[in-house]
Amino acid sequence: MLKLLRMEYLLNRRQILIMLAIFSGYFLFMAYRIDSPRVFLVTLCLMMGLAVPFGFVGREDKFKTAALVCSLPVRRTTIVLAKYAVSGIAMGLGLAYGLLLATALPFTKISVAEILTVKSVLISLFLVSLLSSFIIPFTIRFGLAGIIIFLVSGQLLGVVALILAQLLGRGPNPLRSAITAVEKGLRTLLYHEATPGFLALLAAAIIAVNGLSFLVSRALYARRDL
Amino acid sequence: MDNAIEIKGLRKAYKSFTLDGVTFDVPRGYITGLIGPNGAGKTTVIKLIMNLIRRNAGEVKVFGLDNLRHEPEIKARIGFVYDVPRFPEDLRLEQIASALAPFYPKWDRGRFLALLDDFKLSPRTVFKKLSHGMKMQFSLALALAHDADLILMDEPTAGLDPVFRFELLEKLRALIQDERKTVLFSSHITSDLERVADFITFIHRGRIMFSAGKDDILESWGVVRVSGGGLRPEDVPGLRGYRRSEYSLEALTSDIAAARSRFGGSAACDKASLEDIMFFISRGDTHA
Repeated sequence: MLKLLRMEYLLNRRQILIMLAIFSGYFLFMAYRIDSPRVFLVTLCLMMGLAVPFGFVGREDKFKTAALVCSLPVRRTTIVLAKYAVSGIAMGLGLAYGLLLATALPFTKISVAEILTVKSVLISLFLVSLLSSFIIPFTIRFGLAGIIIFLVSGQLLGVVALILAQLLGRGPNPLRSAITAVEKGLRTLLYHEATPGFLALLAAAIIAVNGLSFLVSRALYARRDL
Repeated sequence: MDNAIEIKGLRKAYKSFTLDGVTFDVPRGYITGLIGPNGAGKTTVIKLIMNLIRRNAGEVKVFGLDNLRHEPEIKARIGFVYDVPRFPEDLRLEQIASALAPFYPKWDRGRFLALLDDFKLSPRTVFKKLSHGMKMQFSLALALAHDADLILMDEPTAGLDPVFRFELLEKLRALIQDERKTVLFSSHITSDLERVADFITFIHRGRIMFSAGKDDILESWGVVRVSGGGLRPEDVPGLRGYRRSEYSLEALTSDIAAARSRFGGSAACDKASLEDIMFFISRGDTHA
């Protein structure tokens, strides 16, 4: 496992530096412009949850190195576990780096007390897990092209949804109900009181989402003909 | 004979191609050539040995161990060379080697650098700047640097110029001087196999046509050529394939001695080359 992590690091070192440069610029801009810690948190998680697993898993697809990795003396289950571990470590470090920048910079508009709480950290991990848990198996199954098609389709769907929302008007309709449900869910998550029960539920959800995603990825990777 | 690989009843079905009932052994300490025309199933067999694709049925044992149950132990003793070497394009050769080395307990950095030097490759060269031949050489250096007991190579000489091919085959020949080492390499270039292989396994349309010692094959197989239309292919003993034209019959036999004694001077009976065998079996009018 450690050998795989080391290999992933060595093979992706350049990618990590590029990501770090892009994210630094983006985080600096966000810390300067955004004053809501919740908006900052959600945006940060979106960036991390999408870009990091996409970068690591997609790179293997880009260079078609899956056969190389699978010809090494390790089981495929361990390879998948390493992908989750490396994505998790990178996302964790990315989140920490983003939060640190947002709180430590002199021109930041976000207060440290509001963002560096157990609840914020757990919510961040939950949101990141939610995204990455979908992106990793999806990339394993459909590759880099699949994920690009998915992201573009998501954007187009958003445009179509906005147009439909305009056309359907302000009255109750299924589209508006769906969007409202997502919005309410996110609002509940962000504004819920940080009771021990809520925090435990969040922690359990993080484990469950990652565990389920790992099982799906493992099954997909085991069935993959290279 | 002690076998490095034992394959029994291997099956893999694709939509347009099925590898079926593949059974053969690869003797330890020798070079075995897996020969067949393009699309015969050579790469599929090698990928199944490496568990890069899932089999539908059958059994593969490497060093006496099941290749699925003992995957990590087996792969640690295999040096694998792909038909198209795939490594991260933007990394230097030494970086790729450094990432892979910890997986192999017997990795020898000195040997790796010596092999690169042999091939006139610099460890600081970026992978994408290598030609196809150089990529193949790098791939071979990686495979040999961890003192693998079994070298598996999928079409290693395809697309290489004669100089590269000669160097690569010489490396294999030198490697086999150590009698513990085994090489299985697939190729459709028959001259390469005639030069270095000890055993030949011929695969065609997903089935093994024969598997035997190269010298035995070249000694006992032959081509019978008869002018005129008097001879039927079925009359040729040990018939394996034939080609008939209006005025002549050419037939491949696996028993040239029997053919000679049967036809005497009435037919030309010459020893068959691997190229003849591949041609008649894969492109002839029929085969037995």
